[in-house]
Amino acid sequence: MFNYFHNHIQALNRALVRVFSNLGSSLMMFIVIGVTLFLPSSGLLIVENVSQISNSIAYDAELSLFLKKSIKQDQIDFIQSALDKTLIIKKTHFESKLTAWDKLQSKLNLNPLDSGISENPLPDAFFISLNTFNEKEINTLISNLKIIDGVENIFFDAGWVKKLRSILYLFKIGLLLLGIILIIILIVVIGNTIRLQTLTHKDEIEVSKLIGATNSFIQRPFMYTGLIYGLGGGLITICTLKLTIEIFNKASINLEAMLGGTFILKSLLWQQNLSIIIIAMLIGCFASFFAAQQSIRKFEIFK
Amino acid sequence: MINFEKVFKRYPGNMDALQNINLEILPAELVFVTGPSGAGKSTLLKLISSVEKPTSGDIVFENMNLSQLHASDIPYLRRKFGMIFQDNKLLYDRNCFENVSLPLAINDIDGIDINRRVRAALDKVGLLNKEKIMPISLSGGEQQRLAIARAIVSRPSILIADEPTGNLDKEYADEIMNIFYSFQQVGVTVIISTHELPITPIKFKKIHLIDGELKDQINNVQLLS
Repeated sequence: MFNYFHNHIQALNRALVRVFSNLGSSLMMFIVIGVTLFLPSSGLLIVENVSQISNSIAYDAELSLFLKKSIKQDQIDFIQSALDKTLIIKKTHFESKLTAWDKLQSKLNLNPLDSGISENPLPDAFFISLNTFNEKEINTLISNLKIIDGVENIFFDAGWVKKLRSILYLFKIGLLLLGIILIIILIVVIGNTIRLQTLTHKDEIEVSKLIGATNSFIQRPFMYTGLIYGLGGGLITICTLKLTIEIFNKASINLEAMLGGTFILKSLLWQQNLSIIIIAMLIGCFASFFAAQQSIRKFEIFK
Repeated sequence: MINFEKVFKRYPGNMDALQNINLEILPAELVFVTGPSGAGKSTLLKLISSVEKPTSGDIVFENMNLSQLHASDIPYLRRKFGMIFQDNKLLYDRNCFENVSLPLAINDIDGIDINRRVRAALDKVGLLNKEKIMPISLSGGEQQRLAIARAIVSRPSILIADEPTGNLDKEYADEIMNIFYSFQQVGVTVIISTHELPITPIKFKKIHLIDGELKDQINNVQLLS
């Protein structure tokens, strides 16, 4: 077991020597991986931020329950008590037709005599805030409310939130596809770099084979090189994301007065940042494993 | 120790490089494989060290039939041999110490042991004071001695040298040969391919090849100056 770890430490050492002895090209590799991963990561950042907004909107979504004009007070009280007993309702607000009419008149500066409206056209209404966004639960609630005597109409005013969520969902699928394509590109780029490195170390590989090195022993430093490339690239992605967030937020604050509000980007969670680095390292390791395996097989001396 | 039974080796598109070879090499023997260029000397050594596989026939080493060896077992077999090549196959981007320590790293030997054994091997070939030097700055004879140090550092029971003195003048060649003799004296089997038999103070086996065929196999030869 000790020898196994010792062997891996030796391979890591050799990989570090290779990376630092070609620091210029290693830095270029870090940047290529970093920038390539930045594209889907920044998309993830946007999705995460917009999702947070859409989630907060969802809890403010309301059901508007309009009552019949002929409704009596005891029926209103019954509906009120029924609503109070429903678990998915966060709060209810009753707006009588008189209050609503007064509000409308004062808002529009209407005079009933001038406008020719002889009677109050507005119904009594309940405005209900929900504490769920589960479509099934909401539909059940609506169908239950519809059958109550005295209820005229119900409106669920959250269609646009649904649309936003659908757009976000499509955006996430798009990001996933973009991510897959970019991962394939990264595998090709890293794989090609590692393949060139195996050509540079052709003599070492051949001599090592002649004196009894296994293919996995020869492959190991190349795999660690890929891991280091991934680590460097992942760190560059995270740093670039942080920098982008800082620049965006500063600009957003500066434009607050002009736009009448701010949109502050929140950083990804540390788990998400860690995932980006781990994914980058896995891509590096995976690409170098296959590239080194293919190249080392070509140097096979046993016929 | 090593037995060849009706061994043939044919390269694609060529004649037989070796034909119907039957021979036996005993432990601690000094063996010279002789013959002109193209006789099959290098092929014979490559078959012993499993660098090449025979087209037909059996090569038995320590009860293992090398012709039926699985590819994944070959690295472990090669670790039993110390191999020296005419072009020495040194790594010119590593210093002497790093070149010699390569087989130990492959054999999973730890750091302290590596230092001790590399220095002992370099001392044995007279290069202890040059451990930090890059091989390119060594003379031809020194480079070949460095290759010997790399071959012996993992203490193999068999040393295989393919024309180790082919590129060296007589003085260096004698120096190299004396190193090989000293290993044979301590029980290592030494197999050397060469165009011409050197003058040697100890008994050896001569395997003479011509056009891939075994012409002579003579035991206990001794040539004295």
